[in-house]
Amino acid sequence: MQKKQRLISRREVIKAGALAAGIGPAIIIPGRARAAKKTLKILQWVHFVPVYDEWFNKKYVKEWGDKNDTEVTVDNIGIAGLSARAAGEISAQKGHDLFLFNWPPPIYEEQVVDMKDVYEECQRKHGKPIDLAIKSTYNPKTKKYFGFSPSFTPDPVNYRQDLFGQVGMPTGPKSWDDVRTAGKQIKQKTGIPVGIGLAQEIDTGMAMRTIMYAFGAGEQDANGNIALNSKQTLESVKFVKALFEETMTPEVFSWDASSNNRAMIAGQISLALNAISITRTAEKDKPDISKQIQLTKALAGPVRAIGLEHVMDVYTIWKFAENIEGAKKFLVDYVTNFRQGFIAGEFYDFPCFPSTVPDLKKLIANDPKAHPADKYKVLEDVLEWATNVGYPGYSNAAIDEIFQTWVINVMFAKAAAGKATPEEAIKEAEAASKRIFEKWKAKGLV
Amino acid sequence: MKLVQGTAPVKVASRRVTFAHLRDREEWLGPLMIAPAILYIVLVVGFPFFLAIYYSFSDITLGSRSLGFVGLKNFAAVFGNTNFRTALWNTFVFAVGSQLLVLVLANMLALALLKDFRGKWFFRLLILLPWVAPISLGTIGWLWILDSTYSVINWTLQALRIIGPKARLIWLGVPYLAMGSIITVHVWRLLPLATVIILAGLSSIPRDIHDAAQVDGASFWRHYFQITMPLLLPVAMVALLFGVVFAFTDMTVIYVLTRGGPYDTTQVLASLAFFTGVVGGDTAEGAAISLYLFPLLLAVAIAFLRIARRSEVT
Repeated sequence: MQKKQRLISRREVIKAGALAAGIGPAIIIPGRARAAKKTLKILQWVHFVPVYDEWFNKKYVKEWGDKNDTEVTVDNIGIAGLSARAAGEISAQKGHDLFLFNWPPPIYEEQVVDMKDVYEECQRKHGKPIDLAIKSTYNPKTKKYFGFSPSFTPDPVNYRQDLFGQVGMPTGPKSWDDVRTAGKQIKQKTGIPVGIGLAQEIDTGMAMRTIMYAFGAGEQDANGNIALNSKQTLESVKFVKALFEETMTPEVFSWDASSNNRAMIAGQISLALNAISITRTAEKDKPDISKQIQLTKALAGPVRAIGLEHVMDVYTIWKFAENIEGAKKFLVDYVTNFRQGFIAGEFYDFPCFPSTVPDLKKLIANDPKAHPADKYKVLEDVLEWATNVGYPGYSNAAIDEIFQTWVINVMFAKAAAGKATPEEAIKEAEAASKRIFEKWKAKGLV
Repeated sequence: MKLVQGTAPVKVASRRVTFAHLRDREEWLGPLMIAPAILYIVLVVGFPFFLAIYYSFSDITLGSRSLGFVGLKNFAAVFGNTNFRTALWNTFVFAVGSQLLVLVLANMLALALLKDFRGKWFFRLLILLPWVAPISLGTIGWLWILDSTYSVINWTLQALRIIGPKARLIWLGVPYLAMGSIITVHVWRLLPLATVIILAGLSSIPRDIHDAAQVDGASFWRHYFQITMPLLLPVAMVALLFGVVFAFTDMTVIYVLTRGGPYDTTQVLASLAFFTGVVGGDTAEGAAISLYLFPLLLAVAIAFLRIARRSEVT
């Protein structure tokens, strides 16, 4: 008895206790033991093409999670709720590991990790990203990548072939002057107006900047100096005023982001600037009108032919994210497999690393859902004519606030409605822009 | 041992007595009952409010956790902004316009609902529905009703040949129609609450006062202006105070219907604060915009409550 007691030393008791402490929770709370498995939480928008979400949420992330021993959860919310959600996560310093914005989000720079290594790894594997991706996610002032962009959505011109055919332009307009002259004739002949928004919403913001940039104007120059009050801006504002008066109706002042989709599919407008969501919806819901809606490349202005991205997919990783390394790996793998996403999204999202979809031109030149099958072929060189908000500079914090508070939209709308002269509207927008630039410069982000 | 056995029940009994005693003492029971409500207000209203004041004197942005004191700089900066002055004016038009309509319509409805008629419960239900339904959903319904392409109002006007077959009123695209639309929807939303409050006030007026006036041959207007209105004033002031505060601080209707358009003609301070502070990322300036009218609202609230107290009939 005594001998046996001596065999169990104090050290052994401690060892046994430690072992019990280690194994104990696993026996008592099995769930906690499994919690050792890594998790990755993703938040992104409800995609305009629902089948993309089906593929991403139910197939892609599950397969990726199995391969990487990670439990991946995806939360989808409407695009309108992203800003408020991001604000909430920052305030709580808790949230998702990967947060997808659908526009460049430079104002969150202090809260996110630098994505330089993700870009470098993707570049090593797939070659250089397009300039649009860098201009939308890099801050030259702080030398930091505040986001990572795997893809973007082009913003081509959607036009009614039958209506433009009636005025001698069956292949659609090639320049902004064509839109003005043909749009006027179509409106006079059929009563159907051109449908380019002049409201406080994202599509108007993109369309007005497209015109500004085509006229050689811009909110800033290449070095990030404010450049709004220029002869070129004046010409662009005068042009939009004339375009509105000759080809449109006041309903464009009331539009939201989906109004041009609805109006085009209802046959009530002759032309709109939008992603391919118009044609994709028409293919499903109104095949007859779908045959009449065709796409054309960026329209030429007096200085250049240029178009904007319609949606810029920018993933950010919060500094307080729980699985930063996992999130970075997910992005690199997502880019590697982007061809699947391109097909699942029905060509809505184009790659920022072009080599990841090597047969892009072939795919879009023969789409069985399209009428004709090569309808989307016009997008084959979109990587060359799509640019970022803030062109020719970077999408910085000041540019973002100018965009989000509709400064440019209101400038064009006031002049078009005759509530201010083009000069007055520009002066007012310039004052607002200067104030915003100075503010963000003082904060060291511009 | 005996001592222990003997003292235990005494202690339990004295504890029971103490609790029962506390339960019956109003100076304890009152604060205890109201504590959850006060805690709720402190956490959900008080804390964010003081945080907003703190932010408005700082240079905080959505993306920064550090904040430096900048004094009144944000307040001065926003006042120099044309957008802000437009929004300030729009806020008054929106609030005053909607509250005038709410007061008149709520009085009419409450007087009608005071009478007995068949199906009264059904009309009461209909009137309460806008208040019961989530405001965002209700406003999305209005967005479709006022849509430039599919407006059911335009369709009805065309069917009744009030407007031509191809004519369309752009409800949210013409400044005065847009302001009219947001006021209408806001009135639709607030009318049930105001009606219920005024109805409660009307029900509490003693019947014998009206009977005496009836004997003296008083007309409807005399009844209304010399009996109903003075006695209703304390309750009406509460309804008006609720309405004014809602109209000055809420942005749901505007955010869903116009987002401040066309060209800022329906932008109000609450929506401008949201676009600047949350969407645009300048939290400090957004906080300053949202607090601009606080002193005025505080003064209005004090004035309304004093009027209500003075006009109380005891």
